[in-house]
Amino acid sequence: MPGLELTPASMRTEQEIFDKIKATLVDLFEIDAAKIVPEASLYQDLDIDSIDAIDLILQLKSYTGRKIDPEQFKHVRTVKDLVGAVQQLLAEPPPTT
Amino acid sequence: MLTPGSAPDRAWRVFGTGLSFAVFGIGGVIMSLTIFPLLRATSFDPETTRRRIQRAMQLSFRLFLWFMAKMTVVTHEVHGAEKLEHAGGRLIVANHPSLIDVVLIIAQMPAVDCIVKQALWRNPFLRWPVRWGGYIPNTTPERLIEDCAATLRAGRSLLVFPEGTRTDPGEPMVFKRGAAQVALAAGSDIVPITIHCSTQALTKDDVWWRVPVRAGHWVLRVEDPIPIAPFQEAPPGLAARRLTQHLHDYFTTRVPPLERRFRREAAV
Repeated sequence: MPGLELTPASMRTEQEIFDKIKATLVDLFEIDAAKIVPEASLYQDLDIDSIDAIDLILQLKSYTGRKIDPEQFKHVRTVKDLVGAVQQLLAEPPPTT
Repeated sequence: MLTPGSAPDRAWRVFGTGLSFAVFGIGGVIMSLTIFPLLRATSFDPETTRRRIQRAMQLSFRLFLWFMAKMTVVTHEVHGAEKLEHAGGRLIVANHPSLIDVVLIIAQMPAVDCIVKQALWRNPFLRWPVRWGGYIPNTTPERLIEDCAATLRAGRSLLVFPEGTRTDPGEPMVFKRGAAQVALAAGSDIVPITIHCSTQALTKDDVWWRVPVRAGHWVLRVEDPIPIAPFQEAPPGLAARRLTQHLHDYFTTRVPPLERRFRREAAV
């Protein structure tokens, strides 16, 4: 739709992704926003368990518009890792369908 | 009759506790080789087998509790047991102070599913009875929650200790979110059972041969159900957190905290 140009997904900066993740964590789990810093461990500091992780990944799926393979998130430990994983997803070409 | 708390009484209870452990272990093996296979052989319908095995579990645990009461090792009383008559499709949750909590609860219920350590699925004696009884192995968290929710949706009742392990004496109770996640996934109301023992016995800190000064008397209270509906409005992750907090507060306000028994008694 011309005139409603949004930033293309691939152009989203690290900061934007971080802000989005932070907002999602607050919305989904009411995690104290002050605790959400790049170095925070998702499991220990933010008390995200494997069931929460599924909800989180579902949200990120609609945010990125990419199909998500949970394998890509296996190495994710901190908020920073998560930002990195999302950035990598966005670098992939969007699905054609 | 030995004077409660006297040295002979305590020595007797060390013997009685050891014997109870032996009876439990040997009884389990004998049942695995006799009653359980017999019950399995009388029916080809898995649902009937499950019901019979679970009923046999209840009756054998009752017998075991009777034995321990006769030995003056463990006595107990239950309040509100009638509230368990309509436990079908409901999640039973209890605090977990002692080793015998599961025995005390199963003895009250003709049919209840439980989560059983996955290692028992490879145990030479128990591998078949746990399958026939329809008990649920603790596999991955995702699968476990789905298996638990499925049994509740099928109208059976399920016992879960939200703490996941026995309470740490001297520490506040810590509730994991799994129980809440199961109740939310199945849309099941929750029946709480509070467990309190008159003295600290068979806790995580205890070894069986260090018996308490006085024999433990366990009191179980089955409370009114906690409806799940008000919690289901929030998104799942948030709902699980709120429900877990609610359960934590519920039990913390009703059950006196466990203290570190040996430290306290050393001061007496």
